[in-house]
Amino acid sequence: YPLFQRGGPQLRIFRPNFFMLAVRPGVPQPEDTVQFRVSMEMTKVDIRNYLERIYNVPVAAVRTRIQHGANNKRNHRNQREKKPDYKVAYVQLGQGQTFQFPNLFPEKEQDTETRSFDDFRSKYMEKEKQKDDPRRGGVPDWFGL
Amino acid sequence: MAVLRARLLLRPARRWLSQAEPTGPAPPAEPLYPPIVASITAKSKAAQQRRRELFKQRVHEAATVEEKLRLYGKLQRPKYMVFPQTFALNADRWYRSFTNTVFVPGMTPRATAAPAAGAAPEAGGAPGAAVAPAAATAPEPEAGAAARLDVGELRSLACDALLQESFYQNKKRPFLYRDQDHTPGPFLTQLVSTLAAFLSAHNPLLAASSLDLKPEVNYYWHHGEEVVVHGHRKGRVDPVRFQIDDKPHLQIRVPKQLPEVVPLESDLGDVPVINHKPSKLPLFKKQYENKVFIGSKVADPCCYGHTQFHLIPDRLKRERLIKARLEDQIEVVYRSNGIASLFAWTAAQAMYQGFWSDADVTRPFVSQAVVTDGKYFAFFCYQLNTLALTAETIKNNPRKNICWGTDSKALYDVVEDGNVKGFNDEVLLHLVRFLLNRPKEL
Repeated sequence: YPLFQRGGPQLRIFRPNFFMLAVRPGVPQPEDTVQFRVSMEMTKVDIRNYLERIYNVPVAAVRTRIQHGANNKRNHRNQREKKPDYKVAYVQLGQGQTFQFPNLFPEKEQDTETRSFDDFRSKYMEKEKQKDDPRRGGVPDWFGL
Repeated sequence: MAVLRARLLLRPARRWLSQAEPTGPAPPAEPLYPPIVASITAKSKAAQQRRRELFKQRVHEAATVEEKLRLYGKLQRPKYMVFPQTFALNADRWYRSFTNTVFVPGMTPRATAAPAAGAAPEAGGAPGAAVAPAAATAPEPEAGAAARLDVGELRSLACDALLQESFYQNKKRPFLYRDQDHTPGPFLTQLVSTLAAFLSAHNPLLAASSLDLKPEVNYYWHHGEEVVVHGHRKGRVDPVRFQIDDKPHLQIRVPKQLPEVVPLESDLGDVPVINHKPSKLPLFKKQYENKVFIGSKVADPCCYGHTQFHLIPDRLKRERLIKARLEDQIEVVYRSNGIASLFAWTAAQAMYQGFWSDADVTRPFVSQAVVTDGKYFAFFCYQLNTLALTAETIKNNPRKNICWGTDSKALYDVVEDGNVKGFNDEVLLHLVRFLLNRPKEL
């Protein structure tokens, strides 16, 4: 963004690509810290305003860093494949609020009917083997010229 | 032949057996072989343990305190830099867990008993009424006797310093973000030096004290353990290293230790336990010299601390925190400054006396601090009961360090036209009581 000096015009951005994606932190974070993946063009001030004005979330502090996407994998043509870079924001909530990322895929409780059906199905699947070529008459496949 | 030989052999054997077991040569006083201990250079846990024991032995056997400090901070590794004046949210809770400190709001029990004696120094209006409660608490020879402190004179000293700095002296506008160095800094220096000089008649310890201007206080310690994440030492279990580098505005060092407030093994609260890494505070790592310093070198006679004075910088001023809607963090700033600075100072004093994490302190080290931003004053008193904070020494250590602290109170409301409006005597008296603190023998 261009530097603002006293007396200069106010910066106006129309239709910016500002998005925020709440993610589960890879390393455990303190209770009041929420981790987001944000657009590369967003600053700490932008993130604070975004959360406070659109979602009414009190924000105490914001810290950001840019995660470099690795460029080591190679495709079938031996060309390097770059994973995209992204910006990570750590937001500390104000007014003593806490946040714990929810478990989106909880273990479903199985009742007795589905459990017995699962056991039956696994037993049945055991019997189905890959059948050999019937033209060989049961002769193993290593037997030959 | 064989039989003869056997009989020959047997005969002496029978002689041996027939004789009563003689008192053979006594087992030698020293064992014949050296003791079986782990190797020093092997790549094993036992060898690592033996190397640690050898290091501890070397430090214990060091001849001088300087040699001990040199060996203690010899190995340099990346460590967390702990800043007493920090913008981090809820930093005082984290600092309390790093330093094993219990925070007790309010002032020490001795200071709350002292108002009875502090009432005695009230202007000579009612010395008789004040002597009775003073005699009940502690028969201080000062109370009501020869030395009587005039609150009016103290107030005039403080107002003089304030007006000189803010009103009478013609100063240009302060540079950007240099407000604190412009007026509150010089005011604090002037106030403390005049009050200390005035009160040295009542407190002989102050007469023998040393007032430092912008000294440096450093301390290095280990607390807890972590696994190294990346690098050539990946996977090894390392102690978590911390370093405090503090520059208080003023410092008073004295040749005699302040008396203890509570006994060494007292338990006044709980230390917060935080299971996250310190880097989430946020706290950053750097590798540089492991320094332990109280403000003067080891040979200085004034090796104990009395009072520190800290000035809050511009970026942590009240107005900025209120504008950022972080009103609850105002007190956190004062508290974290008090706890961290005082822990570093008292622990460095203890190291200067030869104690370290393996040789824990045998007597508590007490120091005081005043944290201010020019107008609001917060008072802290710290008692260091233990230096043993490393992972192995803290296991069976029931002792905790204690910090008493008050909320910040305004000394005055506003300075207008050569008058100080709304002067708060309480804060001034508290400051005076801090300066008058001395060991009981004096």
